[in-house]
Amino acid sequence: MNLSENKKIETTFNGLPLNYYDSGVPRVENDNLPMVIIHGTTGSTDTHFGYLFPLISSRCRVISIDWSNINEDKLTLSDLKEQVYSVINMTLEGKKYNLLGYSLGAVIAAKIASERVNDVSGLILVAGWQKTDEHQILRNHIWNILRKENSEALKLYMSFCAFSTSFIQNSSLEQTVENAKKIEINEFIDKQMKLNSTIDITDDLPRIKAKTLVIGCSQDLMVPTHHSKQLFSSIDRASYLEIPSGHGVVYERPAELFQHIDHFISNPERFTDGSVINVRQA
Amino acid sequence: MNKEVDVLIVGSGFGGLGLGAKLKQNNHPSFVIIERANDVGGAWRDNTYPGVECDVPSHLYSFSWKMNPNWSKTFAPGDEILNYMRDCAKDENLLENIDFNTEMLTSTWNSKDKLWHIETTQGLYIARYLVTAAGHLADEHLPNIEGLKDFKGDCFHSARWNNDADLTNKRVAIVGSGASAIQIVPEISKIAKEVVVFQRSAAYVVPRPDSIYTEQQKRLFKRMPSEMNKLRQDIFWAGEYNFIQRRNVPKFVNEAKKTALDHLESQVEDPDIREKLTPDYEIGCKRLLISNHYFPTFNQPHVCLEASALHKVEGNTLFGKSGVRYEDIDTIILATGFEATQPPFAKRVFNDQGHSLDAQWDKGMQAYDAITVHNFPNLFVINGPNTGLGHNSVVYIIEAQVDYIMEALEHIKIENKTVFEAKKSSEEQFVTRLQQMSEGTVWLAGGCKSWYVDQRSGNLTLVWPDFAYSFRDNNGTFHREGYDLS
Ligand SMILES: Cc1cc2nc3c(=O)[nH]c(=O)nc-3n(C[C@H](O)[C@H](O)[C@H](O)COP(=O)(O)OP(=O)(O)OC[C@H]3O[C@@H](n4cnc5c(N)ncnc54)[C@H](O)[C@@H]3O)c2cc1C
Repeated sequence: MNLSENKKIETTFNGLPLNYYDSGVPRVENDNLPMVIIHGTTGSTDTHFGYLFPLISSRCRVISIDWSNINEDKLTLSDLKEQVYSVINMTLEGKKYNLLGYSLGAVIAAKIASERVNDVSGLILVAGWQKTDEHQILRNHIWNILRKENSEALKLYMSFCAFSTSFIQNSSLEQTVENAKKIEINEFIDKQMKLNSTIDITDDLPRIKAKTLVIGCSQDLMVPTHHSKQLFSSIDRASYLEIPSGHGVVYERPAELFQHIDHFISNPERFTDGSVINVRQA
Repeated sequence: MNKEVDVLIVGSGFGGLGLGAKLKQNNHPSFVIIERANDVGGAWRDNTYPGVECDVPSHLYSFSWKMNPNWSKTFAPGDEILNYMRDCAKDENLLENIDFNTEMLTSTWNSKDKLWHIETTQGLYIARYLVTAAGHLADEHLPNIEGLKDFKGDCFHSARWNNDADLTNKRVAIVGSGASAIQIVPEISKIAKEVVVFQRSAAYVVPRPDSIYTEQQKRLFKRMPSEMNKLRQDIFWAGEYNFIQRRNVPKFVNEAKKTALDHLESQVEDPDIREKLTPDYEIGCKRLLISNHYFPTFNQPHVCLEASALHKVEGNTLFGKSGVRYEDIDTIILATGFEATQPPFAKRVFNDQGHSLDAQWDKGMQAYDAITVHNFPNLFVINGPNTGLGHNSVVYIIEAQVDYIMEALEHIKIENKTVFEAKKSSEEQFVTRLQQMSEGTVWLAGGCKSWYVDQRSGNLTLVWPDFAYSFRDNNGTFHREGYDLS
C-alpha cells in the first residue's frame, strides 16, 4: 500500500493506542470534500483499503481509521463509533465531510450519519446492513463452531463466503489456501463476530439526512443484497446500485467500486434520491 | 470533380469505422471515409507478421455495439480482428461511404467559405467537418542506421511484412524488443536457422492468460449474449484494476514487478541471459508486454540476444552498439515501432494561417478534451493526444470519442451554427490539469525513455493518465463551454 507517502498517525483513545491515516490534500487541486473511510470486520486500512486509499486520495483528502481492540470482553457498536469520532474530532473538527463504510464499517458509518447530521454531507454504504438476520446468524454460528474447534477449515470457510464463485474459479485451490492463511484471527475478531450477530440500527436510519449511495454486491453470500435494499428503502436520500461481486468487493472489483466512489465525490447530486442506478457498461 | 460532404473522416481503422457506423446508424446524410489503402482495418490490415495478435482480450477489444460470439480465443489473431472489422464495414453498409486508395495529402481550413479543403491522391474533397482517424501506430518508425540502406538481403518493417521473403533456414536479425518483436521472435525462431535479437532496452513481460473458446462456450455466447457481455465487463474491470500500477502505488507496482521477474526466472535457464532480459527501469514505464513464448525462445541455441541496439551495417554484417558483430545475416526485420509522438498526419493539416498542426504542436501534441485543437476549427482528432492507455482497450477510448463527436455535431446543429473552435484557454486549462494528473505516474517517474513522453517538453502526450472509465467521464460528452460557435 502507498501509505508510506501518506502519514500514518499513531495516537491514543481511552488510554489505548489508536492509529489512523490522513492523506492530506490531493495533488490535483479541487474543492471536493474530505472523506472518512471505515473498514469492516477482520480488516484494517491496509487490508480493506490498500487499493482504495491511495486512489481516493488522488481525488480528495481521505482519512482512514484502524479499529483498536478494547479491554472489555464485549465490543459494542458504540465502542467502534467512538473511536471513529475521536479521529474525526482530531482531523475534521467543524468541517463537513463524506463518509464511506464497508461491511461492518457501513453499519458504523450509517450510525454516525444519523447522529452527525450537520457534518456528514455524503454517505456511501458498501455491502452494509441494518439488522442481522437468521441467514447471517447461521453463518456466524458455523464460524463459531469452527473457531471453537480450532478448525483448519475456518479461514477457508471465510474465503468461501467472502468471494463470488467466478472469483474463486479464477484461482487455484493452492492459491486460495495460501491467501486464506493471511487472514488473522484473534480475540478482537471474536468480539467483532459477536457484535456482527446483534446489529440493529433500524431506528437510526430515518434520521440520516446525507445524500447516500448504497452499494450492494450482487453475489454477496455474507451480506446478501436484500440488506442493501433495506438500507436503500430506509434512508431518505439514498440511491442504489450493484456491483457484480462477492462480499470481498474491495479485492474482487476495487476499480469498479472506486469508479462509483469517484463519481460520488466529484458530484453527489448526479445520484438522484430514490433511484436505482443503471450502471453504464463498458 | 470536387467531392463535397458534410463530414470527412481520414482512415478506416477502429476510429474511422466506429464514427462511420454511428453516423450511418443516425442516418447522417453526408459523410465519407477516405482510406489510403485498399481495405479497412488500419493496424490490423497492416500488421500481418507471424504471431500477430491483440494484447487486450477480444471480447473487450471490439465495439460494444457489435459483440462477437465467435472469437476463437482470448486474444484473437490479427486476421480474425481484420475480418471482424470487414464485417463491421459490411454489416453497417459503410463500404458505400469509403473511398479506398485515397490518401489525404493536405487539408486546409478555409476561413472564407468556412470549409475544409482536402487534397487527396484522388482529387479535392470539400468538407465542413474534418475528422482525422489516421491512427497513432499507423506509420512505421524506421531507425537511421549507418549502412542499413546498402544491406543486400531482405529488410522490412514489422508493419510492412514482406510475405515473399522466405525465412526458412535463414539467418535473421530482429531489431527491437517491444510489443511486435515479442510476438515475432518465437514464430521466426521456429523456422530460421539462426536468430539474433537486438535489444536496446529490456521489456517487462508477464504471463498471457490465453485460452481457446470451446464450441460450447461460443454457443452459449450466441444463445445468451448477456454472458458475453458479462465477460466483457469482467475483462474491462480486470484491466482497470491495473491502472493503480501506473499511478505508481508501491504495493501494486511491486506485485506486478514480482510477477514479471518470476515469469522471467521460471522461463529462462541461463542466468546471464536472464540478467540481460531484466529491465533497468520501473515496470509500466514502457508498455508492459504479455507473452508465454518470448522468454523461452532464448533457451534455444540458435537464438541469440544482443543486449544493445543495432549500431551499423556493413554488407551482411551487423554490429551491435556493444561492438559485437553478427555475420552473414540474410534478413533484417525492423520491429522498431511507430511515429507516435509526432504523428505524420499532423504535418498535413493546416489552419487558415497556413500553419500546420504539427507546427502548433512543436512542444508536443495537445488537444482540448483530447479531441479538438484551438486555431483549427471544425477539426476532430480521434486517437490523438492523451488517448493511449497502458492498461486497457483503445477501442473503448475510441467509442467515447465517437460519442463526443456525435454530440458535438448535434449540438452545433441545434444552435444553428456551422463552425466551432476550441478556446485556447479551455485547451490550456485541460492540458495543465492533465500534467498535474501525470505527475508521479510511472510513465514520468519510472526512469525510462518511451514514446508516451514527448522528449521536447517532457510531457506525457500519448497516454490518458487515469482510468479508462474516467476518460469517458471527462471526454465522452461535448463541453459547449469550451468552444466558440459561429
Ligand atoms: C500490432 C499492433 C497491435 C495492437 N494491439 C492492441 C491491443 O491489443 N489493444 C489496444 O488497445 N490497442 C492495440 N493496438 C493499438 C491500435 O493502434 C489501436 O488499438 C487501434 O487499432 C487504432 O485504431 P485507429 O483507427 O485509431 O488507427 P489505425 O488502425 O492505425 O487506422 C488508421 C487508418 O488511417 C489510414 N491513414 C493514415 N493516414 C492517412 C492519410 N493521410 N490518408 C488516408 N488514410 C490514412 C491508415 O491507412 C489506417 O487505415 C495495436 C497496434 C498495433 C500496431
